[in-house]
This record gives sequence, structure tokens and C-alpha cells, in this order.
Amino acid sequence: MSNATRTFVLLGPLLAFIGLTYLVPFLGVMRWSVTLPEPGLGQYQAALSDPLILSVLVRTLRICTLVTLFSVLAAYAVTLIWVRGSPAQRLAIELCILIPFWISVLTRAFGWLALLSNRGILNEWLQSLGILSEPLTLVRNEFGVIVGMTHYLIPFAVFPLASAMRNLDERALMAARGMGASRARVFRNVFVPMTAAGILGAALVVFVFALGFFVTPAILGGGRSVMVAELIYLYIFQIPNWGLAAAVSVILMVAVGVLLALLMRVMRPPVPR
Amino acid sequence: MSGGRPGRLAALIAALVAVFLLMPLIAVIPVSFTPNRYLSVPSGAWSLRHYRDLITNPGWGQAVWLSIRIGLLSSVVATTLALFFSLGIWMLRPRFATVLMGIALLPMVAPPVVSALTLYFLLVSLSQFNSVVAYDTLPGVALAHAVMIAPFAVVLITVALAQVDRRIDLAARAMGAGVLTRVTRVILPNIRFGVLTAFFLTFVLSWEEIGVTIFVTSVNVITLPRMMWMGLRDNIDPAIAAISVVLIVIVVTVILAKTAVQILQRRRSARKTA
Amino acid sequence: MVASLDLTLSGSWKGRGLQNIKAAEIGAEGIGKRFGSFAALDDISLTIGRGEFLTLLGPSGSGKTTFLMILAGFEPATFGRLTLDGRDVTKMPAEERAFGMVFQGYALFPHMTVEQNIAFPLKVQRRSAAEVRRRVAEMVEMVGLGGHGHKRPAGLSGGQQQRVALARALAYEPPVLLLDEPFSALDKNLRGQMQDEVRRLHRETGTTFVFVTHDQSEALALSSRVAIFDHGKLQQLASPQEVYERPANRFVAEFLGDINILPLTDVAPDAAGACGRFEGGVIRAAAGAGCVSGLLAVRPEYMRLSEAAPDGNAVCARIDEVIYLGAETRLELRTRGGIALTLSVATAALPQGLRQGAEIWAGWPEEQGFFL
Ligand SMILES: Nc1ncnc2c1ncn2[C@@H]1O[C@H](COP(=O)(O)OP(=O)(O)OP(=O)(O)O)[C@@H](O)[C@H]1O
Ligand SMILES: [Mg+2]
Repeated sequence: MSNATRTFVLLGPLLAFIGLTYLVPFLGVMRWSVTLPEPGLGQYQAALSDPLILSVLVRTLRICTLVTLFSVLAAYAVTLIWVRGSPAQRLAIELCILIPFWISVLTRAFGWLALLSNRGILNEWLQSLGILSEPLTLVRNEFGVIVGMTHYLIPFAVFPLASAMRNLDERALMAARGMGASRARVFRNVFVPMTAAGILGAALVVFVFALGFFVTPAILGGGRSVMVAELIYLYIFQIPNWGLAAAVSVILMVAVGVLLALLMRVMRPPVPR
Repeated sequence: MSGGRPGRLAALIAALVAVFLLMPLIAVIPVSFTPNRYLSVPSGAWSLRHYRDLITNPGWGQAVWLSIRIGLLSSVVATTLALFFSLGIWMLRPRFATVLMGIALLPMVAPPVVSALTLYFLLVSLSQFNSVVAYDTLPGVALAHAVMIAPFAVVLITVALAQVDRRIDLAARAMGAGVLTRVTRVILPNIRFGVLTAFFLTFVLSWEEIGVTIFVTSVNVITLPRMMWMGLRDNIDPAIAAISVVLIVIVVTVILAKTAVQILQRRRSARKTA
Repeated sequence: MVASLDLTLSGSWKGRGLQNIKAAEIGAEGIGKRFGSFAALDDISLTIGRGEFLTLLGPSGSGKTTFLMILAGFEPATFGRLTLDGRDVTKMPAEERAFGMVFQGYALFPHMTVEQNIAFPLKVQRRSAAEVRRRVAEMVEMVGLGGHGHKRPAGLSGGQQQRVALARALAYEPPVLLLDEPFSALDKNLRGQMQDEVRRLHRETGTTFVFVTHDQSEALALSSRVAIFDHGKLQQLASPQEVYERPANRFVAEFLGDINILPLTDVAPDAAGACGRFEGGVIRAAAGAGCVSGLLAVRPEYMRLSEAAPDGNAVCARIDEVIYLGAETRLELRTRGGIALTLSVATAALPQGLRQGAEIWAGWPEEQGFFL
């Protein structure tokens, strides 16, 4: 076998597969965005000027930002214990991360419905205690979406943080303690800055995931707080406007591409000094 | 901190987050025993009707069987393609390897909804030429799943290959071994655990896949997640709670068993060295 | 010259049972290697005789591994031609050349037992099952691993693993065996044992060995010829004795052991060799070649100490440092003109009363000085 044949036989199949089932169809989607219903950039104009779509984009950014903030903060505390806690703590945390991680997104969203909906566990309990007379609306709104997405994304923030904390140079911490710094001070001024790359990486991963996320918002938002992914679904299946759905998808893809390029810069700093 | 354990505050926050992570999973359990047809907490009388429903309604069994078939088909395809590709990158070290890797991983890093629309476009287009690999058919869904899960197999197999000492491959070549011998006799035996893991993970990913499945199915191909999705959208069917409990029990059992085995092994090896 | 070398070497193993009729001659003509614009190898031309033991020696980064990889066929050369018994093999892939190879870190197949490792190349060559069995047993015996045949590499010591690597590489009687720093991970004692082992295996198999090391004593002890590399260039290719005693240039002289270099003035060739002046005295050398540089080199072990000026070549110097090294003692001297000298003296033969700061004479025979 010549070198060219080998390359072809080994690398060819997957590249051809992804090319034919992903790259080419994506080009097709791009074509939709400039040809449906009529040729031109009209759909992009519409997407970036229609107040409804703009409000969806703004909501998406707002929710994604909040979700990123909450998940990374929660993940930081959890990871701290997972990486540096006592053996028992580590085991407990590991199970609390792994079990939800392996459970389907649908089950997890349903769990929040069971907990938070009008006839859910929380409302029933508060009412039976007489604290509430009317049920609180906790799902089918932005609150529900944020809770559900944060829950879904915490494990994804844990993994980059864990690798940052594991690779940390222990001697720097000891040096700081040796210089008489208090625990809180070491944490704030040494530990957190040293894991900054991990924090940024985790934030970007979570934000990118959240942007194109579809299932949890659709279930917990209940059609009332539509995010951009659900908007695309609606333009395909409910109010058919394939051109607009395609244009919004292309915009989303570009945004995520830019963020991923950023992520690469963060995870692989140019030259460590 | 330094070398020591995190403080109490950190432990407290982590405990709260842990509760937050487990809460919705636990909440499913009481709801699954409600006697009502709608989502509610059983007050007084508990009922097994929704569990009975899982057995009597043939739809659930069919959905499970369909998901298994799609999962096997797509994970076999994805793992095989990924194995060839990762071996190629590792053995040949082509120029532009990072670019090729980027293409291979694209479906994993692109926003799920964009992938869903792209695969919808693919299957709708294919439907115009044939009715086998088409929109709302089993092979069509398996194809879409294979695209989505192949990058994960690439990542896992590439990680496994990175642990292999490149010199054993050079040694085999120096002794006159051809590509096939190198792969089957030297490399594969050293990455078989990674390949198995890739197969297992891609199966689970296909088994759980919903984002793309919603876009490429309508009435014929109802996978288990698709069936749950339908029961979640409008009127919430408490049977979802029952099936969720079943799935949670499976996952928890597997993870606890795996953890127990690991702990036992660690103890045993600790005793051996002591 | 190569032809004569060939004769002497083949003569040494002719008639032995394990002799390797396949031992090959390798020719490199103008081999060059560029990584981008960086020249890792520059115009290397040499011939490796049939059954020869050639060592590639040089500092880190000098291109030894790169040259070996080109010989093996793992890396293409950017320039030049490679021949195997006169045939052009420049473009032949590694698996067709099928040279044996022993790596630093052994590169044993971790999932195979010792016997399976050794059998691997034989199976690749589709030898019959009976022959594989016979040959594996023979090789296990040959490297002294009887009783370890069913172990995995992880269960063997470093030295044992290295023996398996050797046995595996020699099992199929390759025409050439390439070894890249095979002993660098072993401790000093084991290293010595393995060197003996390799020397014996070379004698018994008669295969052409190309051995990479940056340990000079290893190179001198093992090889029939040594090729000295620096910055991707071949500095000298000659027998161990010749590279040590008649280094081709200052790099080689300084790379192999300690050396004292005296800058002479008014150097002129004469009937007996050459002579020149150093700090007022006259210095003679038996060989005049290269005397235009005026740099006279003398190995420290040939220098003798005396309290008064001896007959013949000598310089006067002050003792800077006396360093006790067990069997030997090292003396650091400085001449009146400020030139630093190093001497090694057997501790037993050390003159009494050597003190720091004392003046002393260092002399050497004419034939032990040479110009660089
Ligand atoms: N793949 C490569 N890409 C770029 N430069 C390389 C590559 N391989 C080797 N080099 C460079 O070529 C030079 C020679 O390397 P080589 O490995 O042959 O040295 P060596 O003599 O074997 O050194 P050592 O004793 O440290 O093993 C080095 O400067 C090295 O950095
Ligand atoms: Mg080297």
C-alpha cells in the first residue's frame, strides 16, 4: 500500500461521511437562508431587525449569561471539594456529578417539572403548610429555564475546572501560606487567579452549549420564554419559514465559531512566559 | 487551603449544589406513584398504575426496542469510522492534522440546533431519492445519530492512542510489519479498552439523543426519548415519571456498582503493596 | 579502505554457527535533512561495511537519531542517496528494509509475552510454526532469559527488557541492526553488562550494527569505527584509537576526553615533524601535519610531572588545584602565560609534596603531541 492509499483508506471514510452528511447539508442550509422564499439577504435583514426575533436574541443572551454565571459558580465550589476534599467528600461529590450527568436531559427536565410546577412537590408542600394560598409559578417561565439549564450544565463546567485545579502547582500555595497569608487570602489572591484559565474555559464551554440548547428551554419555558434554538424549531415546524430558520442558524453558527476560536486561545495560551 | 482541605464554607456551598443536582431526580419518585392522570403528588393513596402502563402500553416497549436498534447501528458505524480516522491521524501524522480533526469534531462543537437543522435538511433531501435512508425512517435516524456521536468516538479513541508508545509501532515497522499487522497485532490490543468505551458511550449518547431526533422524525420512528418528549410537551403524562424512575434506577445501579468495584480493587491493591 | 575493512571483519566471524549471511553494506551519499529551514543533517557521506560495528557519537541535538531514522526508513532524507549492497534504497519504506531496531526505552509490545515479542518478526515473515518455535527458544537462550519466556514486559527488570528487545530485533536475522541509545536508561553496572552482551551478539551474529550513543567510553569500547557528529555534520569517521589519538579537528579532540591545547608560535615543519616556541621554550612534535594552526594538543594522561625541567618537551606551570578521584588524581595547572592545563596522574605514582601554588614541570613524549 502506498502512503496515499493508506491515507485515503484510513482518513477517507470519516471525512467523506462528515463531508457528505454535515458539511454539504450545511451548505444547503446556507443556501436556504439566501434563496427562501426569494434570493437575497432579506432573511438576514429580517433576522436582525424584526423586533420579535431581536427580543428572542436578547433573551437568549440574558439567559445564557445568567446560566453561565450560576453554573460556573456552583461548579467551582463542587470542584473544589471534588479535587481537594477528604476521600469521603470526594466520593460523595463524584456521585452527585456523575449520576445527573448520565441521566437523560428529558428526565432531568421532567424532574424540575415534578418539583416546581403548580401541582408539583414544592407548591403542594408550601400550600399544605399554609405558607401559600395560591401556587407560585416557577416553571413555564424564564426562572424555570434558568434553573433547568443551570442544572444541566453544571457537570460540563466541572470538568475543565477540575483539570485546572489538578494541574495547579501546590508549591505556590504552600509558599503563600509560608509567607503568612491567611487561608481566605491564599484562596482569593493565589488559588482563584491560578485557576483563572479554567474558569474562563468552563464559562465559554457552558455559554456555547447554552446558546444552541433546545430541549430544556422548550420543556421548562413552556413556549413562553422562547430562546433562539426553539425559535428555529418553530420556524421549521410551526410557522414554516425555512429561510428565516436557516438564516438564524447561520448567525448562531458564526457566533459559536467566534466563541470557540476564543476558547482555543484561552485553553492554549500563546507562549507561557 | 495550601495542601490542606478546603474550608467549611466551600463544603457547605458544595453540599447545597449537590442537593440541587440530586433534587429533581428524587422528586420524580413520588410523582411516579400518583393515582391521577395528570402530574401531581400522591396524597394518601399511592398507585402503581403508571408502572403498569409501561408494560401494558406496547408503545413503550416498541420505543425501547427501536432505541436499542438505532443505538447499536449508529454506534457501530460511528465507532468504526472513528477508529479508522483516529488510527490514520496517529499512524500517518498527516499535514493539516488539526484541520482534519476540526472537521471530524464539527458536529460535536456546533450548536445542537444547527446540527439538527442540517441533518433535517440532509434527510429531507435524501427522501427525494429513496425511501430507506430518509426522513422519519430507522436508517435515517441512525444515520443522523451516527453523525452526532462519531466525534465523541474520535475523541475517546484519540485519547487512548495518545497513551500508546509510538515506538512500539516503529519497532513493528522496522521488523517488516505492514499496516494491517501493525493495526491488528500491535495497536488494537493496546487500545481495545478505549474502543470499547467509545462504543459504549456512543451507544448511550444515541439512546438519549433527542435534539436531533425531534427534527428528523414525525410519526413512524418513535424512539424512547421521542416518546418521553411527546408526553412532556403539552399535557404531562405521569407515565414519564415511571419511565424516568426506571432509567434513574438503572444509571444509579451501574454507577454505584462501578464505584464499589473500583473501591474494592483499590483496597485490594493497597493491601498487596502493604 | 572499505574493502580491506570488510575482509578483516568478515574474517573475524567466518565459520561460526550463527553467522549472518545477510549482513549488508550500507552506503550514504550526501545525505541531508532539513526541518523547515533548519539543517539537522548536512551532506553526510559514509560507507558502513558488511558486519561492521559502527557507532554514531555526538552531543545532544547533533543529528544522530535523525540519521538513524533515515537509515531505518522512518524519515525521508531531504537530499542524498542511500544504498544497500549497492542497490538504491532511498525511497524504500521502513517495512521493506526490515532493519532490526532497538530503541531507547525498549519499545516492547506490552500485551505480548517475551516469547510472543520475539516471535513477532518471525510471524510477520511467515516462517513455519516449527521454525518460529525453534528460533524463539534459541534467542531466549542466547540472551540468557531462560525461564522468563512467559512473562510480560511489565514483569521484567530494565536489563531483562533490554535483552528481550535485542533478541526480538535479532530473531529474524536482519541485514542491519540499528540501536538508538539502548542503554541510556540503565544504571552503570547494568550498562557494562549489556555492552558485553551487545559485543558478544555482534560477534556471534555477524550482523552490521549501527549504534547511537552520546557516551564516549561506550563508543570507544564497542565499535570497529566511530562516526562523530556535530551540528548535523560528520566530523570524523575512523577507528576508536584513531579518533582518540589523532582527532581530525578541535571539536573531536575536545569532545573525546580531556585535552591540553598549547598555542605555539614560530611553527615550522622540519625533518622529524615540526617544532615551535611556547613561553620561551622549544616544543617538538613527531608529526607535522596541520602545524599551520600552531595549536598543539596533548592528552593529559601522557603528561608527566617533574620538579626540574626534564629533557625534551616540557612546560612550567603552577598548581591551581589537586582533585582526588580515587585511583587517579587530577591536577589543574596554569602556565606562566595563563594557559590552563589538566593532568591525570595515577594516585599511586603521585610525587610527594604537591601543594597548591607550587611550580612544577609537565613533560610529554614528542610522538604524543599532535597539531589540530
Ligand atoms: N521532527 C523534527 N522537527 C524539527 N526539528 C527536529 C525534528 N527532529 C529532530 N529535530 C532537530 O534536529 C536536530 C537533531 O536531532 P536528533 O534527534 O537527531 O539529535 P540527537 O543527536 O539524536 O540528539 P540526542 O543525543 O539528544 O538524542 C535537533 O536540533 C532537533 O531539535
Ligand atoms: Mg537521539
